[in-house]
Amino acid sequence: MLNLISFQSSALGALGQLALLAALAFTLGGTWLAVVGGIKSDARATEAARRAVWAVFALVSLATLTLMAALLGDNFSVRYVAEHSMRASPTWVKVTSLWGALEGSILLWAWLLAGFAFVLSLTLRRDALRPWALGAMFVNLLFFVGVCATVASPFTPVSQMVADGRGPNPALQNHWMMAVHPVLLYLGFVGLSVPFAYAVAALVTGRLSDHWVVTTRRWTLTAWAFLTAAIVAGGWWSYETLGWGGYWAWDPVENASFIPWLLATAFLHSVQIQERRGLMRSWNVWLIVLAYASTVLGTFLNRSGIVQSVHAFAGGPVGPVFLGFLAFLLVAGIGLAAWRAPHLRDEGEAPAPLSREGAFLAGNWLFLVFAVMVLVGTLFPTFVEAVQGRRDASVGPTFYNAFAIPLGLGLLLLMGVGPLLPWRRAEGQGLWRALRPLLLAGIGAAVIAFVLGVRSPGVLGTVALGAYNLVGLGLLTARALRQRGGNFAGLVREQPRRYGAYLAHVGLVVIALGIAFSGAYRQDAQATLNVGAAPTTLLHETLALQGTRVDTKPYGRSQVARVLIDGQPFEARLNTYVQGGDSAFAAPAVRYGLLGDTYLVVTAFDAQGKWASVRLIESPLVSWIWWGTLVVVLGAGLTLVTPRRVAVRVPVTRAAPATD
Amino acid sequence: MTLPSPLPQARRRRRSPLPTVLGVLALAGLTAFIAFGNLGRSLEYFVTPTEYLQQRAEFEGRPLRIGGLVKTVQYNPQTLDLKFNVTDGGASFPVQYRGAVSDLFKENQGVVVRGEFQGNTFHASELIVKHSEEYHVPQTQAELKDLLRQSE
Repeated sequence: MLNLISFQSSALGALGQLALLAALAFTLGGTWLAVVGGIKSDARATEAARRAVWAVFALVSLATLTLMAALLGDNFSVRYVAEHSMRASPTWVKVTSLWGALEGSILLWAWLLAGFAFVLSLTLRRDALRPWALGAMFVNLLFFVGVCATVASPFTPVSQMVADGRGPNPALQNHWMMAVHPVLLYLGFVGLSVPFAYAVAALVTGRLSDHWVVTTRRWTLTAWAFLTAAIVAGGWWSYETLGWGGYWAWDPVENASFIPWLLATAFLHSVQIQERRGLMRSWNVWLIVLAYASTVLGTFLNRSGIVQSVHAFAGGPVGPVFLGFLAFLLVAGIGLAAWRAPHLRDEGEAPAPLSREGAFLAGNWLFLVFAVMVLVGTLFPTFVEAVQGRRDASVGPTFYNAFAIPLGLGLLLLMGVGPLLPWRRAEGQGLWRALRPLLLAGIGAAVIAFVLGVRSPGVLGTVALGAYNLVGLGLLTARALRQRGGNFAGLVREQPRRYGAYLAHVGLVVIALGIAFSGAYRQDAQATLNVGAAPTTLLHETLALQGTRVDTKPYGRSQVARVLIDGQPFEARLNTYVQGGDSAFAAPAVRYGLLGDTYLVVTAFDAQGKWASVRLIESPLVSWIWWGTLVVVLGAGLTLVTPRRVAVRVPVTRAAPATD
Repeated sequence: MTLPSPLPQARRRRRSPLPTVLGVLALAGLTAFIAFGNLGRSLEYFVTPTEYLQQRAEFEGRPLRIGGLVKTVQYNPQTLDLKFNVTDGGASFPVQYRGAVSDLFKENQGVVVRGEFQGNTFHASELIVKHSEEYHVPQTQAELKDLLRQSE
């Protein structure tokens, strides 16, 4: 703590540290200005606070660039670089080392948060919410910039100079996806801070009309799309590097990113009820407070070592600090909401069960229960340990699957019926008529799947609900097309929100099918292959080992096995990194297919290169998860497009009002 | 023009009980789900051979992780059949596993195996070789260091 700045050993370190301290000063000043601007309705103070955001963003950018320069320039006088980077790494690994360890990843978080605050400062309207939304962003910045500048500063100088650096965590050098997943995740997490800040502003000012919800729609959707992409990118990384042929293990830190996703998805739907009907105002405030708090909880779990995880970094002072911030967020959020609760009355009657808002509300409850269950499973071993002493217990996937499958199917069911239902109230007769083709399609699809040999109830349910969803969306689109005279592009341009949502739902169906089939019908077999021996039959494929070789790089070496599977060459590798000691990281060879992947992992090598032990995994429809996610993200992107009036005859286009 | 006769003032809006009912039902279901032991049953414990010996009744037939040191390895790379004993200095149990093992797997190496006991033999479905660099789950590592210390 005392050695925060040292000009002796590290010029870059001193520059970065000074930038962070200056950013912290501007953050403190900005917080004060925003609060003054809010309390006294002082436009000049608010304006100054807005400018302070720019300074904070510039300074944190400077600190981030400094760290990047130190990493790329192998400046080992900066402790973070000495401990988490090395000279021999390829450039892309040096870049990803920026977020490959604790201090750098918090700096990245702070930088993205400052970036979001900057964009927010440019788009804020001149209204009563403005100073308080800025103030709430400043409080977040205060925490992250504060942590960066003090207890987790990446710029503290080294005590002893090292020649080549200790190098990054081997698991993070194994795949390029590590360059993508954390950044996407943080963009998603940080993006949720904007609706959160607006909710806080709405609570503080008591202007609890629907303005904040409308204003933050794009922010919420953008954050949600990043979060979705990030979670799946993490799954893909896991699939391509851990060599187990799976993508999701209910690891505590995977869960930590999934809980905010569940809450954000619920929020995305329930804000529409508020937008349309003026209902669920307090619900939405609670939901966004919890969603944002759960991102901080996720980081706390990730960084404190309180739960066992592949991601967990060892303890240190950051865990308690995050816990403190989490407690502050919860107490402040709950306190604010409780103080304003009397004002959070809804207009009109509560949602009817048979209406679109009824379906959204039921879905919200499912999302909420899902999130609570995942949280319980994640924290339960910690409770057990606290209560029962040092016995180390963990909750297996059986626990999660027991509720995740029925809840997932329930959500698919609601997802299909939601768009069919009108707002306010559905007539029983009309609903039945609308629902009948969907149910028939679902039953038909399940029967076909059963005849084709699908026996798992979960998969049959997913197939049935998938068909039911797709037919529902198809019929709705077809009906609209008939009314509009078959101009599909015009339809989409006029209602990008609706068709973006449909597209995202289609993507989710594709993902659900991918999860169901790859989970239920994954096959896994192991064998030892000998060079020059007759091909081995494994999972209906013939495997022949052509040869092995060793590739040596400055940062490690790869043992490569060349295997012919049904005549097609696969090169699976075992990577060893200099800082990883003897432990080897498998790099599987995967041949992606539309109907299924062939996945080969090499698990052991003979020292003389005569044999190699391999594991062959075949899982159907895995790639549907990745493709489906692309569709979801495209759908989310489409909902952000500004709608255009498309006249049937006269092609005059004009922008719709801004409150889309 | 007169307004239609006003409704009685300050009448509270009638709220549909549905959201509350749904919520209560969901939470009750959740509680029941946890209380009836699904969570308890899917808990997987990490024990040492000695702990297993002492609390055998509690752990028999349950999924477990057992940690200790490797002794008397018999491995056939062609059939991938692996047999070894796991010990913490006190108790010792034979372990059976099918699958490749890396070069790391040798005598006196720390190991964690996941699986369950069938009689006296531990049938492992997963094998986690522990080595002593830092990039590991801290708690297990601590447990393992304790084990190593005990057995020396």
